[in-house]
Amino acid sequence: MSAALAQLLSHHTGGRGAHPGPVIGYVGADVPVEYLTAAGLLPVRLGGDPHTPSTTGDRYLGTGLDPAARSVLTRLLDGGHGPLDGVVVSRDCEASTRLFYALRELRRVEPSRALPPVHLVDVLHLPHRTTTRYVRAKLAQLRATAETWAGRTVDDTALAAAITAHDRLRELLARVADLRRARPARLSGTEMLTVVAATTALPVDRATRLLEQLLAEADGLPEHEGTRVFLTGSPHDTAHVYAKIENMGFLIVGEDHDRGDLLYRRRTGTPTETALAERYQHNGPAAPRAAIRTRAEHTRRQAEACGAEVLVGYARLRDDAPAWDYAAQAAATGLPSVFLSRQPYGGLDDGATEALAALRPAAPAEALR
Amino acid sequence: MSTRLNSASTATKYQREWFAQLRQEVADGAPLALVNADAPQEIFRTMGIPYVVNQWWSSVVTAKRRAQDYLALLRERGLPDDSEQYSSIPLASIYDPAPANAPWGGLPRPSIVLAETTGDTSRKVFDIWDDQPGVSFYPLESAAENDVPARWWELMPRNWEQAVGSDRLDLMTGELEGLIRFLEQTTGRTFSETRFAEVMELTNEQQEWNRRTRDLIARARPCPLPVNDSIPSVMVPQWHRGTVWARDAAHAFHDEVAERVEAGTAVAPAERARLMWIGRGLWFDLDFYRRFEESHGAVFVWSMYLAIAADGYLRYGDDPLRALAARFAAFSDQLYTPPWSAEWYVKEARHHGVDGVVHLVSDDARGSYFTTRALEAAGIPVLELHADNVDARGAGPEELTRTVGDWLEARVRPAA
Ligand code: SF4
Ligand code: SF4
Repeated sequence: MSAALAQLLSHHTGGRGAHPGPVIGYVGADVPVEYLTAAGLLPVRLGGDPHTPSTTGDRYLGTGLDPAARSVLTRLLDGGHGPLDGVVVSRDCEASTRLFYALRELRRVEPSRALPPVHLVDVLHLPHRTTTRYVRAKLAQLRATAETWAGRTVDDTALAAAITAHDRLRELLARVADLRRARPARLSGTEMLTVVAATTALPVDRATRLLEQLLAEADGLPEHEGTRVFLTGSPHDTAHVYAKIENMGFLIVGEDHDRGDLLYRRRTGTPTETALAERYQHNGPAAPRAAIRTRAEHTRRQAEACGAEVLVGYARLRDDAPAWDYAAQAAATGLPSVFLSRQPYGGLDDGATEALAALRPAAPAEALR
Repeated sequence: MSTRLNSASTATKYQREWFAQLRQEVADGAPLALVNADAPQEIFRTMGIPYVVNQWWSSVVTAKRRAQDYLALLRERGLPDDSEQYSSIPLASIYDPAPANAPWGGLPRPSIVLAETTGDTSRKVFDIWDDQPGVSFYPLESAAENDVPARWWELMPRNWEQAVGSDRLDLMTGELEGLIRFLEQTTGRTFSETRFAEVMELTNEQQEWNRRTRDLIARARPCPLPVNDSIPSVMVPQWHRGTVWARDAAHAFHDEVAERVEAGTAVAPAERARLMWIGRGLWFDLDFYRRFEESHGAVFVWSMYLAIAADGYLRYGDDPLRALAARFAAFSDQLYTPPWSAEWYVKEARHHGVDGVVHLVSDDARGSYFTTRALEAAGIPVLELHADNVDARGAGPEELTRTVGDWLEARVRPAA
């Protein structure tokens, strides 16, 4: 196996690990990590853990919310992410918003918990000039907070350098994604998801070097086979569901959630604060924020670009947006498709497994373990 | 003993007549807007564009026991029937195979739909409206703030800039300017600043009456009316705010309550415990609110409908469009986002001198934990009812009654 791939697949994610400098946990792909990098803070994207009960999070958020967010809150409160020097939360979905309100209120009414400082960055997505102006103001706020946390100013040169560095990382991720779209594929969907996750927990320059190395070693990567799936619906903060689907003889060649392809599709280009605001405003289309029509068109184009043979919709229990998109997406792609609704966090229920098995054209027996 | 409030029956009757007239206007070629409850309806009022509130229509369909039929129509089209039902039921009316049999003669087809992009799915319902021929969806952003000042209810009427924050107000004002231009172009109707100032003025006057009524009820011993009667008396005029009728209806409601207070009218002959109900109305069992009067002398004196009318709407200022933006830019934060929501419930509980709070915690609880926590910290006993055990299909009225009764005996009025 490629040495770079091995490192990427084994890097701890979702916590500070052994990193020596200040570490900022963040929630949601709508957090402009460029500011944190520019301030010398390490941004680490927070994820949940499907195998640990989210009792603490449930207490504050109730059980009616996406379990992934309840799990993130549980880990924050129970110390599962390790000590953090700050937390930035975006409004990429309703669950993240509520998570922020819970953290803000807990800091106020239960100061003995000693939670790190929390900042909300309200990036919105309607395609209007009024929204751009608002997002710019919110980015300026985040810049000020990053400066406070880092104890130093973020000048335009440092910001431009960070924008360029994160754009470079996105470009490399897109090239790595081509490895799994290739025929034969050189990466599985599970590997791709894990690589993407690693790049959201490593310093940007370190992640960049590892991806460059991985691309250089690509020829030596093993080939992967399977019915080519385009996956839509809920975002996946762990690889469990990907692994289960691929163990059934599928290969996930593309997806439209922001822990996968949607994270790196759009670049900033011009290294200015306005361009950065526009990048985050127009990034997507993510299920909880985009119009049904926009999602359907995006899914159609991307599924085609990936050479997908089937469309799989996966919606976690309490993640409600995907169910509204699915009918239009299935119609737009015209692919054989299945919608796995109300799935347990990090898993597939029996009905979903059966529905997936039925979707495979002619299932080679050896692939079905 | 108390008979139904005149204001409640007048309001219900007015709503019928208004809807029949609206159907006629639309049949004669007027545009129709379908707007979400938390959207700035005052713009439509000013321009004379008839509108129907989405959630109100949903409640009509539900009251006529058609909700399940309508949800089935969505299901048949591969759309979810288990999310956003309260906003999606009116959408299903476009698929109704027998529109003539719909409640109240049916919802005429709107040409404009307006909603904020709250949550993850409310816009999706309107995306489907937008796909219908002749229907345009105008979405509004729903923004949020990092820091919010304490005691919003004191700031909002005049210092809303400080309470809501300039970024949110700039955004919403910009969107409202766009909305006005959009409506001018698509309906040919004009937006008069003079008329708009009147609409804003009338709305403030109406909410001032609601505020006086709320304060009357807060101070009155014994409680002069059941919450069941206050709900239609406040809500129907609320859908018509910005009209002379609505302001006068709020005034008449106030006078009726004042007369009862004067006369010493009591809901319960022997009032021993004053209760607050937090959460949406228990529509399937409205009698519930009166069930503890005889047995425990316990009266529900508070529901959010009058209280939010009293505190949540007033916005004064020289720039009426920005004031309108301030009415809606943080509307739901007032009710659902801690610390605002939690502190407000405590303030209201104290203002009304309640002895206990029954808190309906829905599945989709927003800030409920913090509301309960704040009330308990203020020394007010709270009973949390979880939506799953309140659903008519779950625990029936008997079990609910027993739970509340036991709690009253144990925590609110323990036997001496
Ligand atoms: S981010 Fe880099 S320095 Fe920090 S723990 Fe991971 S490998 Fe070590
Ligand atoms: S890989 Fe998954 S199943 Fe195994 S221990 Fe980790 S979280 Fe649990």
